[in-house]
Amino acid sequence: MRRRDFFKLSVVASSVVVTNSLNAYKTREPRDNQTISLESFPEKRPLIIHSDRPPLLETPRDAFTKAITPNDELFVRWHMPHIPTAINMETHYLQVHGEVNERLYLTVEMLKKEFKSHTITVAMQCGGNSRSAFVPTTSGIQWGSGAMGCSTYKGIKLKDILARAGLKADARWITLNGDDKAVMEKMPHFKRELKISEISDETIIAYEQNGEELPFLNGYPLRLIIPGFYSDSWVKMLSDIRVTKEYQKYYYMDTAYRVPDNADESETPEVHAKSTKPLEFMNVKSYIGYPTPNTKLYAKTKLTIKGIAFDEGSGIKELLISLDKGKTWVEATLGEELSKFAFRSFTYRMKPMNKGKLTIMAKAVNNKGEEQPFAHEIAWNHGGYKYNGIDSVTVSVV
Amino acid sequence: MKKIVFILLIATLSLQAVYTEKVKMKSISFEIPVDKNTIVMQRNCQWCHSYGYILNQGKQSREFWHKIVLKMRNTYKAPISPRDELLATEYLYKHFGKEKN
Repeated sequence: MRRRDFFKLSVVASSVVVTNSLNAYKTREPRDNQTISLESFPEKRPLIIHSDRPPLLETPRDAFTKAITPNDELFVRWHMPHIPTAINMETHYLQVHGEVNERLYLTVEMLKKEFKSHTITVAMQCGGNSRSAFVPTTSGIQWGSGAMGCSTYKGIKLKDILARAGLKADARWITLNGDDKAVMEKMPHFKRELKISEISDETIIAYEQNGEELPFLNGYPLRLIIPGFYSDSWVKMLSDIRVTKEYQKYYYMDTAYRVPDNADESETPEVHAKSTKPLEFMNVKSYIGYPTPNTKLYAKTKLTIKGIAFDEGSGIKELLISLDKGKTWVEATLGEELSKFAFRSFTYRMKPMNKGKLTIMAKAVNNKGEEQPFAHEIAWNHGGYKYNGIDSVTVSVV
Repeated sequence: MKKIVFILLIATLSLQAVYTEKVKMKSISFEIPVDKNTIVMQRNCQWCHSYGYILNQGKQSREFWHKIVLKMRNTYKAPISPRDELLATEYLYKHFGKEKN
């Protein structure tokens, strides 16, 4: 299912642009320049607030000049309105049960003391990041491009926990659930499911983010981290792992968070794809952190363009900058590779010579040779997922 | 003696604090236009989410809003009566509406 030929997307996408007014749809640049709230949430600096209940906080563009997103700047997305605000760490445990030889109740302290720890720097992105790019409006929160970030996580391997519990011979799947709860009893829980044979060595249950305890709003005290995957599966306040023989059907696996299962993962607003698949690996993407749109810059003065790029974990090969709306591209300087899953920072130094509007575009290419398409080349899908268009920022040179 | 008990009590409390994370969540009001049907929004939407969810969607067609109301009832199990289904759709279209998707 893993699509390896994203490079071809621009060709495929341009062929599916529908001009018939009945089927009209398009993709554009996601919303930008959203208002940063004057209010701030616990352990967070003022961010773009889409909702307080459940909390939906987006990171503003100027945070994306660096490879690591500070904890207080990282975006927040919960599905359920009831999030426990107090946890007794002596009695709080992660339960592992189902098709296992030994049912486990693990406190955070036990995880820290009894298992080998692993540290990894990983980019995190909501599957619906940049959803506001899709027209007509698709179902879900209309994010700009700040539902992403990159952090260094410390925790223990999911595989080590499963090994401790001892999987029975016919164990095939695990269901992960957190402590957030719905109001309506019948509302589906935010459960995610993973195939045991597909769990990577890098998948960890984290208790630290950037050297500190996980921020409450990012899933304190435990969060699943699946490097390369969209973070929809990174269950927050993780408290329950159930091992099963058969695949279980859940709303957030079988209805939501799915994309069309066809070559360019597209469909039309009128006819949705019959066959769909869950969101899994992230496609290649980049974003400019500086300058931000409408910044006033002085002509004949040095300018350092800064931003970040990432993909599913093949790593970033090059980052290209265009100053003529995509006609020609020049290579930017890549920063240190903190891990193949991490944000890779980039810089490009220049001196704008002419006064007037200047549009800066950034395009990432990964080690598989896949590159970002233009915004308008991205095909529509009804969930508004996986937008990865070339970013552009227009500034005034005075 | 009282002093020692007090110190011990403080020490125990601070030790407790290490193990218990207590967070005060922020409450923010998202203003929506007031008319005779605002009450329909109050009694149906706020159980599960703030009005931020509505404002975030931007201006949309009547059909879009109707589908959203149905999704809230059918998928997320909000107990929206048939009458409120129509009134909520009407309210949303009136204040956050546009002709076409």
